[in-house]
Amino acid sequence: MNDIQVIFKREFRAYFYSPIAYVFSVIFILLNTGLYMFHFFFFGNADMRAFFSTLPLTLGLIFIPAISMRLWSEENKLGTIELLLTLPMKTESIVLGKFLASLVFYLTALAGTLTIPIVLLALGKPDFGPIAGGYFGAIMLGAFFLSIGIFISTFFSDQIVSLIITSLACGFLVLIGWGYVPMVVDGWIPGLGQFLYDYVGVTRHFNDIERGVIAIKSIVYFLSFTGLFLYLNAKALERRKY
Amino acid sequence: MIELKNVCKDYGSTKALVDVSLSIKKGEIIGFVGPNGAGKSTAMRIITTYTAPTSGTVNVSGFDVLENPLEVRKLIGYLPERVPLYSDMLVSEYLAFIASARHLNGTFEKRLEWVIDACGLTSVLKRKIEVLSKGYKQRVCLAQALIHDPDILILDEPTSGLDPLQIIGIRNLIKELAHEKTIILSTHILPEVATVADRILMINEGRIVADGSFDNLVKQVSDSGLLYLSIKESKKEFEAGIKSLSQITDISYDESAPRGQTAAHLYYPPKEDILEALNQLIRSKKWMVVEFQQEQISLEETFIRLTSSSSESGSEAKKEGGVK
Repeated sequence: MNDIQVIFKREFRAYFYSPIAYVFSVIFILLNTGLYMFHFFFFGNADMRAFFSTLPLTLGLIFIPAISMRLWSEENKLGTIELLLTLPMKTESIVLGKFLASLVFYLTALAGTLTIPIVLLALGKPDFGPIAGGYFGAIMLGAFFLSIGIFISTFFSDQIVSLIITSLACGFLVLIGWGYVPMVVDGWIPGLGQFLYDYVGVTRHFNDIERGVIAIKSIVYFLSFTGLFLYLNAKALERRKY
Repeated sequence: MIELKNVCKDYGSTKALVDVSLSIKKGEIIGFVGPNGAGKSTAMRIITTYTAPTSGTVNVSGFDVLENPLEVRKLIGYLPERVPLYSDMLVSEYLAFIASARHLNGTFEKRLEWVIDACGLTSVLKRKIEVLSKGYKQRVCLAQALIHDPDILILDEPTSGLDPLQIIGIRNLIKELAHEKTIILSTHILPEVATVADRILMINEGRIVADGSFDNLVKQVSDSGLLYLSIKESKKEFEAGIKSLSQITDISYDESAPRGQTAAHLYYPPKEDILEALNQLIRSKKWMVVEFQQEQISLEETFIRLTSSSSESGSEAKKEGGVK
């Protein structure tokens, strides 16, 4: 087994040592499908636009921070970070192992919402382009938020603090592209709102991918920011030696 | 085997280690002793690559800790002071995790079996770590440090919080391993160091204040001479009288002396004969002597002397402690 696998295996199983993982998955699925079902019965459209429009906010504010908060904060609290960082492994491998474990855990929960397209297929004739695009975007978005969350958890030994800071950071990234927020910011400092909307906020890129326009620009945006935060994470861990 | 050259470590404005140079040979058992916050853990963390020195170089078996940390880590088994355990794992899961993280592929089963046996963990293998007693936790963590059969063992307070029987168990295990390994251990329990370590390093305020075998250290300090004197007089009177003896370098009062008596340990430089002068003083003052004896300095005493004198002034400590 290589180092990434060793860390992945431990971290992924660690989610299931406590009942939190099960509780989390149930709430994630219930909340997201519940929010959607209301809309579904109200409008009666066989698409998932309502689902994907609330997803960035629920992911950023609660679900991703809840998955990522323990990754380093727990190590800091238990002191196991001293064990982990004196194992003959590259710091990058440890970061990557942890990230992949959290990503797979998130994907497992996300897979639980696949009941919606199945129901849609049974009831009507949904267009699968936007649905596939939406799921692809949800994967990209989740990976990005997780990389932010892991990075933030490095600095705290209290999981709740990690959760709140991550939630604020991800919430900011969502809101900066949400509704008329960019226009309001533009009102304060002309040009800033549009700049943040175009280059920083996640909503626009998520919407582009979801719309089925597999926009290279948006994919690059998600992948490069995810990579950046994982890199920063490894650097931050190396940095604390000094 | 382990070479520290002019190592300094600052945490912000606090100096955890100040210009420490040290050479540890293969097969030595080193005992780090010193008060809390002296720099023992910092020194260990630098050798294990967990923290980096602010300046100076550290070399382990030819590998620099900053340039080749992974090679250094392979050689070392480390028991940190905080006893790092994943509390929600089973003991067996935890050990299997460490074994695979240490890349034990072919020897996996064999090493696991050995370490479980050596640390006496057979009965708790299927228990969750969080329910174990302090003693068992310590042993699980020790097993973690031994699993890859490292050349160098670094144990930060391996016996803290254990009961006397467990302490003896760990001590015996260390002695057993001593034949083949270089071991560095730190402790507050001084007699433990005396029985286990071949070489004692006393650290205080980030400096090494003494380095040598137990016998050597005691000799260095007891060379300075120690007398115990108890008289039926007030402390003031005692102090005034003793002051007139210029040879006496230090007085430490025995607070447990009964009321109306004053007792103290008197230190004087080696080869000075103060007995005559002291006798004259007692006679001239007409003191009533209750107890008067020549003393042997214990390791505790050595420790207190060396560490307290170094806080007064570094240079004095060097003279008294006999640092190379």
